[in-house]
Amino acid sequence: MGLELGSSILLGNMATCRGQLDNPGALMWRMCCTGTQKHSGCAWILFWQHFRHTRKCFGKIIREHLKHIQVNYKRGHLTPFEEPESGGSRQCLLGGVEEIERELLFTSLLLIALAVSAKALTPAHHLSSTDVARLQATLDQPFEDLQSAFYIIVGLNKLGTRVSDEKSACQFLRSNLDSSSIDSLFYASEASQALSDCEVPVSNETRDLLLATISEDSSVSQIYHAVAALTSLGLPLSSQEVVSALTARITKEDNVLAITMALHTASRLSQQADLRGILEEIEDLAARLDDLGGVYLQFEEGLEATALFVTAAYELSDHVGMEPPLKEDQVVQLVNSLFSKKTWGSLAEAYSVACAAAVLSNNHYHIPVIVRTQGPATVSHRDPALQLQVTNVLSQPLTSASVLLESARSVSSKSVVLKQASFSLKGETFELNFMHSQAASGYYDFSVAVRGDDRFVGNQVELKVKVSTEVGIANVDLSVVDKDQSIAPKTTRVEYPTKGKGTFTVDSHQNFALSFQLVDVNTGVELTPHQTFVRLHNQKTGQEVVFVAEPDSKNVYKFELDAAERKSEFDSVSGTYALYLIIGDATLENPILWNVHLFREPEKKPPTVVSNTFTALVLAPLLLLLILWLKLGANISNFSFAPSTLLFHLGHAAMLGLMYVYWTQLNMFQTLKYLAVLGSLTYLAGNRMLAQKAVKRNVGNMLMEATTAAFWKVFRLSGCRWICKD
Amino acid sequence: MSNSVLSVISRFLEEYLSSTPTKLKMCDAYLLYILLTGAMQFLYCLLVGTFPFNSFLSGFISCVGAFILAVCLRIQINPQNKSEFLGISPERAFADFLFAHTVLHLVVINFIG
Repeated sequence: MGLELGSSILLGNMATCRGQLDNPGALMWRMCCTGTQKHSGCAWILFWQHFRHTRKCFGKIIREHLKHIQVNYKRGHLTPFEEPESGGSRQCLLGGVEEIERELLFTSLLLIALAVSAKALTPAHHLSSTDVARLQATLDQPFEDLQSAFYIIVGLNKLGTRVSDEKSACQFLRSNLDSSSIDSLFYASEASQALSDCEVPVSNETRDLLLATISEDSSVSQIYHAVAALTSLGLPLSSQEVVSALTARITKEDNVLAITMALHTASRLSQQADLRGILEEIEDLAARLDDLGGVYLQFEEGLEATALFVTAAYELSDHVGMEPPLKEDQVVQLVNSLFSKKTWGSLAEAYSVACAAAVLSNNHYHIPVIVRTQGPATVSHRDPALQLQVTNVLSQPLTSASVLLESARSVSSKSVVLKQASFSLKGETFELNFMHSQAASGYYDFSVAVRGDDRFVGNQVELKVKVSTEVGIANVDLSVVDKDQSIAPKTTRVEYPTKGKGTFTVDSHQNFALSFQLVDVNTGVELTPHQTFVRLHNQKTGQEVVFVAEPDSKNVYKFELDAAERKSEFDSVSGTYALYLIIGDATLENPILWNVHLFREPEKKPPTVVSNTFTALVLAPLLLLLILWLKLGANISNFSFAPSTLLFHLGHAAMLGLMYVYWTQLNMFQTLKYLAVLGSLTYLAGNRMLAQKAVKRNVGNMLMEATTAAFWKVFRLSGCRWICKD
Repeated sequence: MSNSVLSVISRFLEEYLSSTPTKLKMCDAYLLYILLTGAMQFLYCLLVGTFPFNSFLSGFISCVGAFILAVCLRIQINPQNKSEFLGISPERAFADFLFAHTVLHLVVINFIG
């Protein structure tokens, strides 16, 4: 609802965008129209900018909610110097009845957002000492022209170092100076100020030229350069003229860089001048910053523009003695934007970053504080002190600060272990001995505050600290328990780190049990690390099986191995196994791999007595068979020693032997190969032998038949003769 | 009742012992042996458990298979069945018996593990 309203009003007012400073809510239109006309998502940005606005002045809106419904554009009625506080309220004003609904929507969203973003922001980026060195190296180039010389000399000066050869630098400035160019005069005069004992000669014509530039007809850049040159050269000028010229120019040149240069100019003018108008521009310009994800705040014109703006804003604020209208969060976001880039493409960029860093380390209002741990954020009994480095954005230590641990909260138990403990300064780092509080091992959320100066920004820091400890194993008991509990378990106690004596034997009707306790060596508290494994490693085959040991309610770890149930994991391979205990955790300093014991698993077979009995029983019928055959009168006497017979029997025996060899060694394919050879031999021999036998049997039969036939013939003949005789 | 069963059995045994040729009696003795071996294996499995189940299976199947093949041999070499097995001489039956046994042993040894 609010969005449609906003966009419709926006489109309606697009034509009357510029110059409508008195239009209620012109602030929003301007930032939307001028900066983002090309964006199709103008309404979204409008929403977001306004949302950010209302977030900035949340206190005012909540308290004076109803008042805001009235159209009350107070901009013309207040002076910044009378009520600096309400300087912020101007931005809170919505004006316009049509915006009431939008404000209600935004306020409710704001409340939700506030609940979420209650934590203060801390700087995520800064210039570490290596970054500062890199910045200096980027700036430390040989001079090419006057502009580069200016950047180099002034940039290095801001970082606290000097050009290597000042005399030649000064010479370079003097020789390259072009007295007819305002820019040239600016660079030369500013650079010479940065050098010690360097004078730039100036003539009356030059001065007149510079003074003539201060008018409404010159660009802001020209006015700035002229004013800066005049002040660097120590020449008098009329501040009021400058102010009027600037004010007139700003309305025509509305871009970020121009206004930044106007701010720079104002900081060179006398303090008696009426700089209010220009001072207000800081706020307006700050409103144009783009908020990226709540972390970064920068102009879309880039890093250089943002850095120059920051420099100008703080210089002017210091000059007039008024706090810049930037909230803490905004300052932190600016710090993130300025110092996230660690390599700089041009001298101008490097110069601007150097200026911004210098001004943020040394101004009267806001000093961003960077808090980092020295080394990993880990504390242990051997290393009980947590060391913090507290620096400004240029990594210069802030030794005047006092660092206080507001609370240390355990992540797992959510209880506060330490409150209001202060860090002590040792050299350039702040130290706190955390182990005095007898904290258990684990992760802790530290809430640290840096005090000592009202200017500190981003001084509420949240750190995650790990307390690590050493683990010890106590009360290790190994026992072999019978499954039906009939035999009392044999328990052996083993001391870490020695190995157990003797071997255990476990077979399929026994269970193997291991119990132990893990204690913190220093405090004696029981621990439950993330990794507690029991590893059984077969010495011969190299096979290993890993089990997890679980703690019971009293934090005693128990592990039970049911030999029969788990035989699948072991592939039923019996043998000698080594038992290892593996303990590990992120908060442990000494992960343990302990070869506890050596034990043997015997064959997973039934008792040998039973097997032997049944082997005898199974072989018994064979005896019976032999006896029966003998009784029946098997005649072996017919065994002829013909070659084919021998060959057949040998071949057959060889085939049976091959079966045995197949069982013990070969695989199917090899067996089939040999079988083919032996089989065909046996077949041929057997064929021959059986044929012979058949012949013999047939011969016998034939003989019998012949005899019978003959007998019958004789009987018939004799019978006939006997009958015929009659 | 039991008297008649007993008398039937004794009569059967008498007839068997007198009228069966020696060759067949020897085959019957072999059959008895196979039967007893198989029974023993099965008894072991029932009592102690089927731990190496594949071994039990292969042993038992070998007994059963051998029994079947021996029965086939006995049928084929029985002279009273000559009319049904006209093309198959006893030697041929024996050769078949041996070949079938080779295949059976191959399978059994493969499975015994």
